[in-house]
Amino acid sequence: MSGRGRIDAVRRFLPGFLPVVALLASVIDRPAFAADRFPLALKDDRGVTVRLAAPPHRIVSLAPSLTEIVFLLGREGSLVGVTRFCNVPPAASRLPKIGGVSDPDVERIVALSPDLVLCTTDGNPRDKVRAVEEMGIPCFAVAPQDLEAVFTAIERLGVLLGALDRGRAEAGSLRRRARLARPSSLDADRPSVLFIVSTAPIIAAGEGTFMDELVRLSGGRNAAARFSGRYPRLSVEEMVAARPDVIFVAGMAGVERFPPEVTRWKEIPAFRDGAVITLDGDLVTRPGPRLVTALERVSAALAEWRAGAASRPKAPGAGAGGKR
Amino acid sequence: MKGGGERSGAVFPVLAAALLGALALSAATGPVSISPRAAFDAIFRGTDDTPARVLLSLRLPRALLGALVGGALASSGVAFQALLRNPLADPYILGVSGGAAVGALTVALFLSADASPLLPLCAFGGAALSALAVFLLARRRAGISPERLILMGVVVGAFLNAVIMLMVTLAPPGKIPGALYWLMGDLGQGTPHRVAVLFPYVALGTVFLYLLSRGLDMLLLGDHAAFQAGLSVERVKTATYLTASLLAGSVVAVSGLIGFVGLIVPHGARVLVGSGHRRLLPAAFLLGGAFLVLSDTLARAASPAGELPVGAVTALAGAPFFLYLLRRNGGRS
Repeated sequence: MSGRGRIDAVRRFLPGFLPVVALLASVIDRPAFAADRFPLALKDDRGVTVRLAAPPHRIVSLAPSLTEIVFLLGREGSLVGVTRFCNVPPAASRLPKIGGVSDPDVERIVALSPDLVLCTTDGNPRDKVRAVEEMGIPCFAVAPQDLEAVFTAIERLGVLLGALDRGRAEAGSLRRRARLARPSSLDADRPSVLFIVSTAPIIAAGEGTFMDELVRLSGGRNAAARFSGRYPRLSVEEMVAARPDVIFVAGMAGVERFPPEVTRWKEIPAFRDGAVITLDGDLVTRPGPRLVTALERVSAALAEWRAGAASRPKAPGAGAGGKR
Repeated sequence: MKGGGERSGAVFPVLAAALLGALALSAATGPVSISPRAAFDAIFRGTDDTPARVLLSLRLPRALLGALVGGALASSGVAFQALLRNPLADPYILGVSGGAAVGALTVALFLSADASPLLPLCAFGGAALSALAVFLLARRRAGISPERLILMGVVVGAFLNAVIMLMVTLAPPGKIPGALYWLMGDLGQGTPHRVAVLFPYVALGTVFLYLLSRGLDMLLLGDHAAFQAGLSVERVKTATYLTASLLAGSVVAVSGLIGFVGLIVPHGARVLVGSGHRRLLPAAFLLGGAFLVLSDTLARAASPAGELPVGAVTALAGAPFFLYLLRRNGGRS
């Protein structure tokens, strides 16, 4: 956006925006985000207010995404325990383990005498977290449901861990990268996209998942969105009927390749055109900073599809009965 | 035997028509729309457009697999109920399912994900091994008693269940989701190849059970009476047990654990044609096939979330159907 355009836009929106901005400033700037001095009290995503007298220096993380954020904030020196799935950055996998995401070992957590436990409501069992809290250890829950909420979570953890400026800066640069990754116009060709998390059986990412958001932000249509449920199970025929132009395979379940009897369906444009792209399962399912990298990959793949769209044949083999 | 004679005639044509109708309905149901004309062309003129391929390589194999699996489970259920003289016996009570599951999980755990073609083979191997183990454990010099067979089946089944739980718990993340879906019952594996592989097992098994039907009738009188009547009781029992186990094992290997059919369909068939095995076995085969094909059609059509496990539908749809049959016939049989 040019300088002129920006000024115009500001002028147009200013009357309506001003009260909103003022309100946001009063909410955001004062009690929570400006509290770079301890003691502080911050409400987590469960609605529980967590109070810290000083920046924590013994932190246990109960999810890989949270471990990644702690490293991003430069506070990895305070990490004393992580899950066995925390493998990014590589240094994380050398930290003491407290169990898995769904089966953290409360006793091991307590034995590490942390002054803060970071947890999530998507995956960590509620009763385990409660057991840790009952031992007098504050637990801060983060449960972002979309990309913007991930950025906000990074800022809030920055506040909580005493890295306010770093949190803001990192979130800001991630926001910029996310903006740059998106196509300039969303009404161009909108390919139909399937995000597959398991190939045998075929399980797709439906509405309400991060993968669904990645597809939409990149200018695609999620072909699995018409099914209810976050992870619908599809038959081959449903894939034939959905006719996805591009298929992403996030090998979450450890089965990354389609069996040959599925790929021979040339009625599915993605198979016909070889537009099947494998992505690291960790990358697209962890609500952490690397979600932006995933967005960049998905967006680049869809841009490539658009670039090739002109040279592709218009759906041969669709036959008489094939309805677009 | 009694009750079979008077209700003769129309039952078999009706059951056969029901199975054909279920197959047709299944072939007509799905997200890709296929006109009757396109279906006709696909089958009789060998057209090769999308609807034809969907019909011939997805829907029909799946429907046929459903018919084979349902029919075989119901037949082996009939055989086990006669053998054990127990109305609650079904292929699973004798540890067949546990053995198949351990076989399948072993493939998923210790071989790479690409080894899935081996899954039916190893599941069948597991089922056969556990059936044999139960048989050998239950056999005594005096012969095989139904009580010991059930007891050993339950014990071996419980042991195998513990092994399954251990395997599922200790498996590294992401190793066995495919196998877990298989355990829930899955006709989605219905490729023409699988149908062709399963067909000889089912055909041989059901024909062999049919040949045993006079012996099965006599077993219902009790071992002693059957022996008095000139039946070589032990040989009939052994043959029945092994045939029914292998039949169930081969089906489980391909389609996973689909409960309820083997337990309930024999009772439904008995209500229709009586308990003489010459009529009961074919009736159970047709009824089981039609029932499973219809359940699978329902599982595919009714769910807004993609596919449902067919095992859940057989139980949900089967219990009311069974109650209806019982009530209509005033509980006779």
